[in-house]
Amino acid sequence: MGVKIKALEYYLPTNKITNEMLQERFQDYDFTKFESKVGIKSRYWASSDETALDLAEQACLKLFQTVNKSEVEYIVYCTQSPEYILPTTACLLQERLGLSRSVGAFDFNLGCSGYVYGMSLAKGLIESGQVSNVLLVTAETYSKYINAEDRSNRAIFGDAASATFLVKSEQNGLKQFAFGSDGSGAEKLIIKNGGTKNACVTNPEIRVYGSENQYTDNDLYMNGPEIFNFTAENIPDFTKEVLEINGMTLAEPDYFVFHQANSFMLEFLRKRIKIEKDKFYINMSDGGNTVSNTIPIALKRLKEDLGTVENPLTVVIVGFGVGLSWAGGVIELDSSLI
Amino acid sequence: MNTEKFLELLKEELELESDLKVSTNLKELDEWDSMVAMLLIGLVSNEFDVNLTGDDLNSITTVQSLIEKIGPDRFE
Repeated sequence: MGVKIKALEYYLPTNKITNEMLQERFQDYDFTKFESKVGIKSRYWASSDETALDLAEQACLKLFQTVNKSEVEYIVYCTQSPEYILPTTACLLQERLGLSRSVGAFDFNLGCSGYVYGMSLAKGLIESGQVSNVLLVTAETYSKYINAEDRSNRAIFGDAASATFLVKSEQNGLKQFAFGSDGSGAEKLIIKNGGTKNACVTNPEIRVYGSENQYTDNDLYMNGPEIFNFTAENIPDFTKEVLEINGMTLAEPDYFVFHQANSFMLEFLRKRIKIEKDKFYINMSDGGNTVSNTIPIALKRLKEDLGTVENPLTVVIVGFGVGLSWAGGVIELDSSLI
Repeated sequence: MNTEKFLELLKEELELESDLKVSTNLKELDEWDSMVAMLLIGLVSNEFDVNLTGDDLNSITTVQSLIEKIGPDRFE
């Protein structure tokens, strides 16, 4: 008895921001170089009255075109952009979607590693016999956290939501997962204020990083080089560990879908791990770094690129980033996904 | 690695306009930003199998200081 992915949809807000638009706004930042190195052409930002929950709702509505919503038994909701500090956003989603009142629902706070953690949670819930399906949702609006004058992060991050329907199955579609956490890396990707440690500050001190990117402690801060360094040091060996616990060699999986943070880093990882170019899926130029959404979006796009497949595809997924947190696993994708 | 070659490699991989000398302060170059820092991390990791940390990047100034971080014995 196992779990399989029955359906997967994602939603991008309608407000599309291209590099040309950013270039107009930030005349002295080289967006051509950015595009070639980081690999992002456009990203989507939620509007001022649109929240991650709204995006999540849209992703779920798309899903419900093929999935019967009355069947949903449990919502696992990954976000770092909750609707409120409390109550739980997943409960709000239950109401928005008109789901049964007997569903379980909770939020969990993870970023780039979130989707993989979510898959392993769904596997646990279903394979332990507690429920027969899980609606795994990721939803993020980092654009609301980034300082308007932080050119670098404004260019990198995009908003999105995804909804994956996982069901109990004969197929062992979610195999073994491995995890990692390193809190010593907390300050490498952080919003310092607004939690219980530090209140938001009125008139915060303006700080600068890189080539005149501005931010305050009320905003998102990311130390790109440190994150790259952490990724380069840990993820190659970790990927091998994921293959090992699944009893697979590097040549066996059909595809590798990593968190799509930036194409330079992805190419670096691909070469370091020695994965063939054809098997290493990169599709981020439209959408950018949507945090926990990058993997589900890439999976959906991969499936759309391939069309109908006869046999399920074996895919290695690895998410890594804010926390610092990382997770990886092997999953199967088949034709039920499109 | 030959130091001259290293200067050329740096210029090419970091996509810099002007030629570098060992005394060039990388941080003071027009092009220096977090993207160049990322390219540098990738380059040093690939060529020397050395992982530059954030602290390393903070303390590096000239190409010479970078050479010292990597290990002068790796150069001729």
